[in-house]
Amino acid sequence: MEESPQSGGNWLLALTGVCLVLGALLGLQVKARMARGDTQMARRTNALVAMVSEARTQIENQRKEIADLRIQLSKYEKEAAAGHGLVKLSEELQNARAALGLLPMKGPGIELTLDDSVMKADETGGTSDLFVIHDFDLIGIINELWAAGAEAVSLNGQRLVNGSAITCSGRLIQVNKVTIPPPFTFEVIGNQENLMSALNIRDGALDRLRRLEFVVKLTPKDEVTVPAISIAPKFRYAKPVLEESGP
Amino acid sequence: MIALPLVALLIGFLTVYWLPALPSAWSGYVAISILAGADALIGGLRARLEGRFDEAVFVTGFFANMLIAALLSYAGEKLDVDLYLAVTLALGIRIFTNLGRIRALLVAAQRRRRSSGAAGSE
Repeated sequence: MEESPQSGGNWLLALTGVCLVLGALLGLQVKARMARGDTQMARRTNALVAMVSEARTQIENQRKEIADLRIQLSKYEKEAAAGHGLVKLSEELQNARAALGLLPMKGPGIELTLDDSVMKADETGGTSDLFVIHDFDLIGIINELWAAGAEAVSLNGQRLVNGSAITCSGRLIQVNKVTIPPPFTFEVIGNQENLMSALNIRDGALDRLRRLEFVVKLTPKDEVTVPAISIAPKFRYAKPVLEESGP
Repeated sequence: MIALPLVALLIGFLTVYWLPALPSAWSGYVAISILAGADALIGGLRARLEGRFDEAVFVTGFFANMLIAALLSYAGEKLDVDLYLAVTLALGIRIFTNLGRIRALLVAAQRRRRSSGAAGSE
């Protein structure tokens, strides 16, 4: 290439300087674009996480409020009843509420914690389905508990009442339509000896789980607290029969 | 020797790449500046090949073009006219014309060299 007379050898220097600046600008732009892509994704995820956690705390707060209001209501009723000689009626109402699971309960009982097996599917050649806790495992245990005279039972903070269904959707377990993750903890109020022996019975519900090396922790506790059910049962179809109907 | 500008391009890129990112609002102006800078660079190459290159014109043209392009798109945004489209179009056309001219010059130079080489060997 011939050197143009008016520029000398400096043209390369000028080109180099200009290229440095242009490269810097390109770097800026590429970086900005990449950063924007990242932050947009992150922002969306963060927003969703925030929404979920906000909704959760809201639900939690409302549950607490429901529980508080129920206790308050009971107190008012008791006071009102005392003033009008309706103590008997008030007691009956309280018992009915307790039976429905509308009141938190306290008393001696047991705590049972279950978690998935420490055995891995590939070690034994079986399918992984064998080593996770299923809805039917929990249902079996609950049945055992009721049979042994459990008076109040909760599973991961969900009070089990008349109509509490335990279902499995995919790999998640739902109780009272609330999804619960493992480990599963039962809080049971009742006769400790009866409950313990019923659960530890040979070939019983826990026996199978223990043999497959599931994590099973069964401890008697002097005071167990079982929360109230968060949503009161509604009767849409069933109506109480009030008149005595003859045969 | 011709690798020097390319190395500078890479160094500039990498240096800025490790620095914190610019606010994304600036991104449009940076983009239009890059286009203007590329246009000035290619224009400079063409001038060089035509033998009428001047560093002072080249360097001032480079920065002035970038600034004007960015300012025009900024003004366009303020006036609610898509002026950056005009800038993009003008610069794009110029880049294409200049590249075409450079190609023609290189082909001509190659042809001249070959014919002179052939003449020398004979």
